[in-house]
Amino acid sequence: MDTQFLVSLSIIIASFALYIGIAIYNKAKETSDFYVAGRGISPFSNGMAIAADWMSAASFIGMAGTIMLLGYDGLAYIMGWTGGYLLLTFLLAPQLRKYGRYTVPEFIGDRFESHSARMIAALCTIIISFVYSIGQLSGSGVVIGRLLEVDAKVGTMIGVVLIAFYAAFGGMKGITWTQVAQYIILIIAYLIPVVFMSLQLTGNPIPWLSYGKIVGEFQQLDQQLGISQYTDPFLKGSKWQFLALMFTLMAGTAGLPHVIVRFYTVSTMKAARWSGAWALLFIGLLYLSAPAYAAFSRFILIKNVVGQKISELPAWTEKWINTGKLQIADANSDGILQWQEMVISNDIVVMATPEIANLGVFVIGLVAAGAMAAALSTAGGLMIAISSSFAHDIYYRILRPNASEQNRLLVARISIVAATVLAGLVALNPPGVITQIVAWAFAIAASTFFPALVLGVWWKRSNAAGAIAGMLVGLVVSLGYILAAKYGGFSVAGIVDTGAGIFGAVAAMLANVVVSLMTKEPSQSVQEEVYDLRYPEQMTYKDGQVWMR
Amino acid sequence: MKQIDKKVADSYFRERVRLIAIFLIIWFIVSFGVVMFAESFKNMTFNGFPFHYFMGAQGAVVTFIVLLFINAKVSDSIDKKYGISEEKNEQLSAGKALDH
Repeated sequence: MDTQFLVSLSIIIASFALYIGIAIYNKAKETSDFYVAGRGISPFSNGMAIAADWMSAASFIGMAGTIMLLGYDGLAYIMGWTGGYLLLTFLLAPQLRKYGRYTVPEFIGDRFESHSARMIAALCTIIISFVYSIGQLSGSGVVIGRLLEVDAKVGTMIGVVLIAFYAAFGGMKGITWTQVAQYIILIIAYLIPVVFMSLQLTGNPIPWLSYGKIVGEFQQLDQQLGISQYTDPFLKGSKWQFLALMFTLMAGTAGLPHVIVRFYTVSTMKAARWSGAWALLFIGLLYLSAPAYAAFSRFILIKNVVGQKISELPAWTEKWINTGKLQIADANSDGILQWQEMVISNDIVVMATPEIANLGVFVIGLVAAGAMAAALSTAGGLMIAISSSFAHDIYYRILRPNASEQNRLLVARISIVAATVLAGLVALNPPGVITQIVAWAFAIAASTFFPALVLGVWWKRSNAAGAIAGMLVGLVVSLGYILAAKYGGFSVAGIVDTGAGIFGAVAAMLANVVVSLMTKEPSQSVQEEVYDLRYPEQMTYKDGQVWMR
Repeated sequence: MKQIDKKVADSYFRERVRLIAIFLIIWFIVSFGVVMFAESFKNMTFNGFPFHYFMGAQGAVVTFIVLLFINAKVSDSIDKKYGISEEKNEQLSAGKALDH
């Protein structure tokens, strides 16, 4: 056991103690508190909680590496995962807040006056959140496993216990404040290494301003090495794949139930708008830094690693070669490392940066704690979404309308534990690469909830039959395209499985509109409620008149 | 509770929708628009970056953040213009949740 291990472990344990302490302190007592934190969270804090909810293990550990390996094509993730907040804040969040329900399936069930729609929406919520949480759990397994020097599977199981514990006992209120703490820890952990790296390489401590120079230098460096240009567009996939992936991630963002439910925790429509703005600012800090990480790491690899004698590589490379995350093979046996002779895993860029830049044991431990915060916070939010869909929408609203509050809380807690354990079991042998699984969750959300919610809020003529047809068509088309593209080699214009959301969303939109127009219009009271969403809380629409309260 | 002219309420809604439409057009141009013509921006540089790369890595994201804050700010002033009080909104929405 070395110093590094002890330092990393104590930082992680200290941060966990903080999260669990907050969760216990806020132990939810009432159902209303459990789901939406009593609706009294300020937009600023809510923005941080959304940001922590949002930024998963894949964003924290994997994104910078993905950009380094994909070059320009990796930027679809940067724009896609930020641009969706505009769709959400402009088109959905304030209106959903005014409608005032606990969960997304509840909105869909009440707006379309249909238990079938509610049921389908609850099932979609569970499918999307479950798929997403598999990625989080296996991500936390990698970090815990590496740190404790145990198998990633054991790490995953430790993660399952932690998540089940604080999600079940804290509820959303515990989670909101826990997530604020997690955001602060993860953003500090993400920024410190990149700031120091910027200082070392460019003499300027502000990475966002300084890394342009490095990116500019790649043109010449790549030419010398004879490799494809870092910034040239569409080398790894077609332009249509880039656009389709970007759309899928944006629309998926606006349809993710665990993100939307965050907007139910604010007090008003105005607060929902400000929450969206703060959230994207906090998220942007990390997303603007990821390409800087990518550029700095690539620069160091080209300058200090490539072209060196294989026997004289810097000391930090050895450790990563031992983990299998960095592979080096002297293909032409000249004793010198060429770019092509090196295979780098996405995961090492952020995790290895503190070592590359020689930042010491404390920063390395902090980065590990930040990665854990990212994985756990997202998984916690997902588990709340799953449990509220089950306990609230299916159990209480459909199966047992007269269940007592205590009884419902118990069902909510049991379903969190069950969902976490189940997702953990799947995460032991994940069905694909983590970023791929995450993109599937976005494709399904973009194809089911996004069209149903946008039409439900903006078009009063949309009815139950239309919403049900839309969600089912979206689900079938997106799942069908994912399977056909992944296993059948099927593709349209070079669009692969991760871009499936564009087809699902368009098909669902059309199905919703066509079926709605072919069937009876919704009841007068529902149409009035939808019309009412045009105005702030103080204005009410009734019988063709607008009243001011 | 007093009735207000439907035309006033409609013009509130129109102002909000116009704002959203303008923001979404800008949103589309800085992200999808730039990607569609990425090849033609290759030789322009900005702060050391090729322009298309700058837009993907920084320009679009910063634009998104700025648009959200402008939206929040301008929407507040529209609310104010129509005499909407946030205090009243908070009061009204406090009891808005379903009763369970």
